[in-house]
Amino acid sequence: MDISFKNVSYTYQPNTPFEHRAIHGLSFKISSGSFVAIVGHTGSGKSTLIQHLNGLLRPTIGQVTIGGFQLSSEKKLKQMKELRRRVGVVFQYPEHQLFEETVAKDIAFGPSNFGVDSEEISRRTLEAIKAVGLPEPLLERSPFDLSGGQMRRVAIAGVLAMNPEVLVLDEPTAGLDPRGQTEVMDMFYQLHQQKQLTTILVTHSMEDALHYADHVIILDHGTKYMEGKPEEVFVKKKELNKVQLDVPEVIQFLFKVEKKFGVRLTYHGQGLNEIANELHSIIKGADSIE
Amino acid sequence: MNNAFIIGQYVPGESLIHRLDPRTKIMIIFFFVIFVFFANSAASYGLLTAFSIISAIVTRIKLSYIFKGLTPVWFLIVFTFFLHLIVTREGEVLFEVLSFPIYSGAVIQGSEISLRFFLLILVTSLLTLTTSPIEITDAIESLLHPLKRIKFPVHELALMMSISLRFIPTLMQETEKISKAQASRGVDFKTGPIKDRVQAIVPLLVPLFVSAFKRAEELAMAMEARGYQGGEGRTKLRELRIVNRDRYTALLFILIIIGLFLTRS
Repeated sequence: MDISFKNVSYTYQPNTPFEHRAIHGLSFKISSGSFVAIVGHTGSGKSTLIQHLNGLLRPTIGQVTIGGFQLSSEKKLKQMKELRRRVGVVFQYPEHQLFEETVAKDIAFGPSNFGVDSEEISRRTLEAIKAVGLPEPLLERSPFDLSGGQMRRVAIAGVLAMNPEVLVLDEPTAGLDPRGQTEVMDMFYQLHQQKQLTTILVTHSMEDALHYADHVIILDHGTKYMEGKPEEVFVKKKELNKVQLDVPEVIQFLFKVEKKFGVRLTYHGQGLNEIANELHSIIKGADSIE
Repeated sequence: MNNAFIIGQYVPGESLIHRLDPRTKIMIIFFFVIFVFFANSAASYGLLTAFSIISAIVTRIKLSYIFKGLTPVWFLIVFTFFLHLIVTREGEVLFEVLSFPIYSGAVIQGSEISLRFFLLILVTSLLTLTTSPIEITDAIESLLHPLKRIKFPVHELALMMSISLRFIPTLMQETEKISKAQASRGVDFKTGPIKDRVQAIVPLLVPLFVSAFKRAEELAMAMEARGYQGGEGRTKLRELRIVNRDRYTALLFILIIIGLFLTRS
């Protein structure tokens, strides 16, 4: 589903001393099937933004369009449930939403709310638990007996079982160990490609944004600061530092190489091996001249 | 969060009333609540009303915000007034509405009770509007201190109060977070038949309890790790201190109470 924000602003608790404008004048487009990273410093409005994607918040000003659904301050959306079925949101620390007696029941909670029949639900439960890389026997255990990382995966499975077309991820790897982080992100990327999902990832990790996304939106104080392809956005060191963000390590490395050796390597999305090869050929080249 | 309801909501500020010692405020309000019931003439009511309204202005919180926050209470005030109109049968008949007689006594009593009610709510909400929960518990601990002699656990009570007050906003945030997460999984808290809506509470309450217990455990652990062992010999970071500001305010209040007794009929 195509998503577009048109001049969107959102104000918390308007007309009180606690009034707080979280985002304002935000416009952008996300095309169906793309993987978009939303990056920004704490308090830049990322979490507010994603709550517009499934109608948890309605813009104070402006208009949000998600596929055929339109959200604006004037009128309530009638097919809210349908929107929420199609847009799955994995919140920060999603394991806090677990409540059922067994893992299977918890995964089934979403689909059964949306009226999926029981046969289809058990099929999806199996599929979801496999997708998140957990063994099947876990389905009959209580989610509260599991480890933190397993609980996170169960919660993610609960969202996947809704078969959403748009997947919104709010820092899905926060608090996981390094290995778990890569595993979870790789899993999301695989799903994204397999099911042709539109994926929106909110993250603090420039590495993840660079690695997985094909479009990056950078927020600062509730407005759009920059937007573009990751390899274009992440080389602008000065601009990023201004909003307290860093360039990813790979690119930092290239900058350091340039400073130390005067060799300029442009970044165009190459991996570590390719960079090593480029460096190798440059060094070899320099040797042969001597 | 419910935006309209402000009772219990603290609005930080630098006004004279914000800076008063919380004990001064609590004592003044305590006596105000008692003396409201002594007023019985127009002048005495006028005095108390003026005192409350001026206090509200001095806080420098927008009056419109304070009054809007009292919205749920307005309903009660109006309701009390009309109840009196209908039930009380004293004095002479003023006029008849649909052949139902309205007595002068009813109008007077109705307005008196509603006004008292309004003043009580206004003044007590000024306390919570200008005093942070921590200050209030500190003040209560200090005011209840004499009860220690009869082995009343004053410190423990104050600690319990401040912990529960401290966690109200946290739990509210948690509730909002979980209800959003469950709403995203298709739970409908707002529409549908009552039976479904009651059932929709379960996915909200279970995670909330789980996290509340977890928090309690973590808090207890953190307190013990930092050597907490009850109130014995414990000093305070923020000492409450009565200064001239408080003395003048108390004096002013005593003058108002004397004025109240002079204007009583």
